[in-house]
Amino acid sequence: MILNETPIRTSKNYGINNIDIDDFSIPEIQETFEELNISGDVDEFTIKKEKNKIDLKYGNGEVLLKQIKNYSNVNFHIIVEGKKNKELQLEFDLTNKNQNLVDNILIEARENSNGIIIIKYLSSKNDKCYHNGLIKVLAQKKSNLNIIFVNMLNNKTENFTSIENILENDSKVKYNIIDFGGKNSITNYYTNLKGENSSNEVKTIYLGTSEQTLDLNYIVEVYGKNSIINMDVKGAIKDKSKKHFKGTIDFKKGSKKSKGNENEFCTILSDRAKSISLPMLLCTEEDVEGNHGTASRKT
Amino acid sequence: MKTKLDEINRNVYNIKNKDDYEYKIKKGLTPEIIKEISKQKNDPEWMKEFRLKALETYNKLEMPTWGPDLSMLNMDEIATYVRPKSKMTGNWDDVPEDIKNTFDKLGIPEAEKKSLAGVGAQYDSEVVYHSMKNELISQGVIYTDMETAVREYPDIVKAHFMKCVPLTDHKFVALHGAVWSGGSFVYVPKGIKVEIPLQSYFRLNSPESGQFEHTLIIVDEGASLHFIEGCSAPKYNKVNLHAGCVELYVKDNAYLRYSTIENWSKNMLNLNTKRAIVGKNAKIDWVSGSFGSKISMLYPMSILNGEGARTEYTGISFAGKGQNLDTGFKVIHNNKNTSSLINSKSISKNGGTATYRALVRINEVAKGSKCNVNCESLMLDDISRSDTIPVNDIKTDDVEFSHEAKIGKISDKSIFYLMSRGLSEEDAKGMIVRGFADPISKELPIEYAAEMNNLINLELERKYRIKKGMSK
Repeated sequence: MILNETPIRTSKNYGINNIDIDDFSIPEIQETFEELNISGDVDEFTIKKEKNKIDLKYGNGEVLLKQIKNYSNVNFHIIVEGKKNKELQLEFDLTNKNQNLVDNILIEARENSNGIIIIKYLSSKNDKCYHNGLIKVLAQKKSNLNIIFVNMLNNKTENFTSIENILENDSKVKYNIIDFGGKNSITNYYTNLKGENSSNEVKTIYLGTSEQTLDLNYIVEVYGKNSIINMDVKGAIKDKSKKHFKGTIDFKKGSKKSKGNENEFCTILSDRAKSISLPMLLCTEEDVEGNHGTASRKT
Repeated sequence: MKTKLDEINRNVYNIKNKDDYEYKIKKGLTPEIIKEISKQKNDPEWMKEFRLKALETYNKLEMPTWGPDLSMLNMDEIATYVRPKSKMTGNWDDVPEDIKNTFDKLGIPEAEKKSLAGVGAQYDSEVVYHSMKNELISQGVIYTDMETAVREYPDIVKAHFMKCVPLTDHKFVALHGAVWSGGSFVYVPKGIKVEIPLQSYFRLNSPESGQFEHTLIIVDEGASLHFIEGCSAPKYNKVNLHAGCVELYVKDNAYLRYSTIENWSKNMLNLNTKRAIVGKNAKIDWVSGSFGSKISMLYPMSILNGEGARTEYTGISFAGKGQNLDTGFKVIHNNKNTSSLINSKSISKNGGTATYRALVRINEVAKGSKCNVNCESLMLDDISRSDTIPVNDIKTDDVEFSHEAKIGKISDKSIFYLMSRGLSEEDAKGMIVRGFADPISKELPIEYAAEMNNLINLELERKYRIKKGMSK
């Protein structure tokens, strides 16, 4: 199964245009997923259990998105309203009884709203499980959203995540991503800074152990003027783990005065661990500032 | 200080001689055509077989699935071998008048007198002039055209020819293997330091044709050399193709500096391949200026095979109207304590596309290696495009690797400052662009730095002329 295509291809000999997972078949999904805990200021949010439309620009490939469309067993439409700065936590525990999670979460931050949403994926028992999830964020004007995404799945579990954020004028979306788990952990993260003065900050920390493969494909397209993207990805890999980081900041025509920074730092803790990075800057607008930096070294 | 844009004369690069050849192969790419090229070149049998094998490989390999669109290339419309009406000589007076005039205007004989230890000049598919100072001959340095090398040094050629760049590397390397003609062969014996540069200049005059020169340089243990490569062509309405191949062997403790000023015409597809294998404690420096061509796909590569091997790449590309320059550098660290330093700059304007595409691979064995990459792109308007696509593949823990890249426009503050000192906006921008390119100019001999600066001025002049024209 070929996943996580980069927006621009380079030589296929470099092995980074996509990831091909060959020792895997898509499991059948049970209709319900019960190990779900919703906590925090639950009453301050509107939470609807409804299927959301799948209309992603990228995402984790046709097959997995089709599975979410047809077989999702957790569906949420979360609405954030008002400047309350309240916190909502969703915690999914994948176990032998709730082995396969296919979740479809839409977060809609209404105009002038703010909030914090924590989404945690755990596998408290050491069972081989499967996760295929979608988080879509619609940030309306002047909204401010802080999303904390935690992947603490075990190293037997296949983990696929698609994230898409659409930001309107003066909106801010900040992500803290803790990406530790999964046998193959494949993340497709896309942000569309369509509004002027919109801002997306994503801070990721990853850890690769044993024979894990982490494939992180972060794509940010900047359309609106005076917009900001800060991408900061740090992590460590050890044992025989592999990490692929593909980061793209794409300044589109009209994104004048926008700024983008992309940093990746990988600490390699074993001489059998492998790190590949592809930090791309694409630019069709003159009046922007784009920077990227990557570094790898031992401790 | 005023910039002197009016001093630049583009006409020297556009000198277009009559397409007057001794022999031109028919267009296309078939086994019969390859056999005919081989016959025309009086190849030994092994080379004929090599060419036919290369054609088979070419037919099996797919076109690149990445990079610029090459759909305008139709090999059925390209003549891959054109022999000019001139035999190779060591005396400029024996070169036919029109060809000599072209090289005169490009400044080659003059440069030879002033600052070079040897010169090779290729016109279409054949080298028409080759000469080297007697002092180097007496030291055992060999500098000749590739055909002579194939005849006179078959063992060395067989051991090195297309071993550094194998036929299967990509489609246009295979094409090169099938139709190669001309180019230079250099051998610098152990311990010999060639203090003054050698230069080969490649000129393509014939329309709807290709140039496929092969450069093979061996710098033996403890020796050193600076080799300069220049290339240009007049502009035609139809596509021309350049698919040369440069193979460099830098043996233990040796040093090679390989400098290129490329100014192909803007109908040229420049799909060139350059690679170096670097031995223990040896070093190769690449200095590269890419100004011409319609499309370039050019990624010189250093393979650091010896312990302590080093490489530096300093490159600039300047993409103007109708140009898509996809350039960069590749380095493979294959041994302990190897190091690489990459410094790349690109400028895009008037709708041009400049892409920096690169690979850094640090293999498991390359413990204690270091790599530093610095990449800057300057956009001069909002109709151009600038992309940075670097792949960093690190397979060992004992490494220091860093990569930095920047994209942006000329800072308003800098322009304002220079204008406050009396410069016009255009002169201020010109000065800043030349300053941006300065680290590359500094790496070139002064005559070539001047040529590079002239090319930058020429490109800027064209930009401002177009801009002024539009505003009328």
